[in-house]
Amino acid sequence: MGGVCSRKRGNQVNEDGVRTGVNRRYSKNGSSKWLLGTPFFRTTSGCQGEGGSCPSLMELCIHKTCQDIDKYRSFSVLPRDISQQIFDELVRSHCLTDVSLEAFRDCALEDICLGDYSGVDDSWIDVISSQGSSLLSVDLSGSDVTDSGLALLKSCSSLQALTFNYCDHISANGLRNFNGLSNLSSLSFRRSYAVTVEGMRAFSSLVNLLELDLERCSGVHGGFVYLKGLKKLKSLNIRYCKCVTDSDMEAISEFTNLRELQVSCSSITDAGVSYLKGLQNLVLLNLEGCQLSAACLDSISALVALSYLNLSRCGLSDHGFDKLSGLKNLKVFNLAFNNITYACLVHLKGLSNLETLNLDSCRIADEGLANLTGLLLLKHLELSDTEVGSNGLRYLTGLMNLESINLSFTLVTDAGLKKLSGLSSLKSLNLDARQITDIGLAALTSLAGLSHLDLFGARITDSGTQYLRCFKNLLSLEICGGGLTDAGVKNIKDLTSLTLLNLSQNCNLTDKTLELVSGLIALVSLNVSNSRITNDGLQHLKPLKNLRSLTLESCKVTAPEIKKLQSSALPNLASFRPE
Amino acid sequence: MEKEETVKLISSDGFEFIIDRKAAMVSQFLRNMLTSPGGFAETENGIVRFPEISTTILEKICQYFYWSRQYASGKETEFHIEPELTLELMMAANYLHT
Repeated sequence: MGGVCSRKRGNQVNEDGVRTGVNRRYSKNGSSKWLLGTPFFRTTSGCQGEGGSCPSLMELCIHKTCQDIDKYRSFSVLPRDISQQIFDELVRSHCLTDVSLEAFRDCALEDICLGDYSGVDDSWIDVISSQGSSLLSVDLSGSDVTDSGLALLKSCSSLQALTFNYCDHISANGLRNFNGLSNLSSLSFRRSYAVTVEGMRAFSSLVNLLELDLERCSGVHGGFVYLKGLKKLKSLNIRYCKCVTDSDMEAISEFTNLRELQVSCSSITDAGVSYLKGLQNLVLLNLEGCQLSAACLDSISALVALSYLNLSRCGLSDHGFDKLSGLKNLKVFNLAFNNITYACLVHLKGLSNLETLNLDSCRIADEGLANLTGLLLLKHLELSDTEVGSNGLRYLTGLMNLESINLSFTLVTDAGLKKLSGLSSLKSLNLDARQITDIGLAALTSLAGLSHLDLFGARITDSGTQYLRCFKNLLSLEICGGGLTDAGVKNIKDLTSLTLLNLSQNCNLTDKTLELVSGLIALVSLNVSNSRITNDGLQHLKPLKNLRSLTLESCKVTAPEIKKLQSSALPNLASFRPE
Repeated sequence: MEKEETVKLISSDGFEFIIDRKAAMVSQFLRNMLTSPGGFAETENGIVRFPEISTTILEKICQYFYWSRQYASGKETEFHIEPELTLELMMAANYLHT
């Protein structure tokens, strides 16, 4: 929520775009990867523990104020930055109501970030608009605000950022109220029924707009012609707008200042992409899920400033990739789920600035990787579901900047893993494959910098866990191959950096395991599903104060007992199963 | 206790609080003032006047300094704040960067 509201949000589109589009919140049997970001394109989420640092007097006062919020009638005597902090804390702790909001009338607040906050409707807007010309950003995503609520915001003439994602009660008429907000630089209306051709007409006067986000809007087709005057526009997101066709691209080609364009999962074809040739400032282009062919690669080759290109799930074959060999600025290239082979990778040899390459589910085998040996800046390599085997890994030995490799569901065996042992920059390694065993793990003990190790389906046994002791910096660990008993968990109990631990599917684990992990106080997410854990074991989890997710499906554990634990000892527990 | 190990904080109504210099350092504002090389007269004589802060509030602030040092040394007790003082205390905390 904070990220959406902040006026400094240059990274947001980028970060969104880098994700592969699939919602992975509940991948793999409730393993809570969403708490830590996806394994391949990891984001920095706020998982660091509270630490033992002393709260400042200001924090104590704000906390106290929020506790007694009913006692205050007005904060308008306070300096703006203090009332802003109280407001933010009330929102964060879900204690703000329409009644307590009244105390913030005329407080000259700058940011009202109420995205996905429950209960927000038109009755809140009066106090919000009383902030007058101080107000710079408003996020009311997911609220019941209507056109008449929007009308009240007209007077807040300094507004720079407005976010009304998923607001179902706003119509095209309501958008007219934004006509005069000429300071607006960022506007977001994801999945809005208001943004029709008529609605977009209302945006035509917003000449200072830099960022426009219309993701999932179903009525934007034909409306872009009204945005011609938005010459400063730098970022446009129309992902998942199925209605967008080639003719819309013609209108979009007039935004010559565009740096970032996301058109993934729309209905555009090669012809639509050909209109983009003139967008010489384009740095980011996301075409994921559009049905394209070799012809589009010719058009893309003109966009020499590109540093981020997403062509995953575009139905591409090897044909035409020779055209892209001139995109020397490319840093992030996503080619996942295309029908490409060695013949495509040959043309990537010269893209020496590449840092991230995603080849998930492509028809790449060992020899294909020979084309990557010169990509010395490569940090992230995704080879999941490819035909790469142990022999191919020898081509990676010189890529000393590699920080993450995903080898899940490849043909790589234990024998190949020693070729990774010299990659000292490696932080994240995914070896989720049945043929990987203790022997393979033993070959990796030199990778002391590993922070994420995924051995989900690997056949790791108790004796293999001794090698885990070498990975002192592990933040996340998944071993779910069924071979662990409590004895193996003894080798995990000292990995005190762990924030995510998934030991599900090891059906011999007992309450003893919970006792052993009770010292891992940094844990944010714990999954020991499909085991012999019982209600009696839950008491051991009391020291895990940072725990936000606990999954104990198919155990002898009941929801009421977890709830008891939550209310007595685990205040941060937000998600648990069984529930 | 030697003189230089304490500082004197004077409230708007002239009440003087003599506290450990180390305790005063909890405030970023006072830390800067007391450690800046020869800039402020306060650095020399260890006396700081707060014409904007009442005695009640300054007393509470001094209590916080000592509480904070206890907290940092592992004694994590609760710091009690009277509801009627909160707003004024917040403004002072803001000023003192505390």
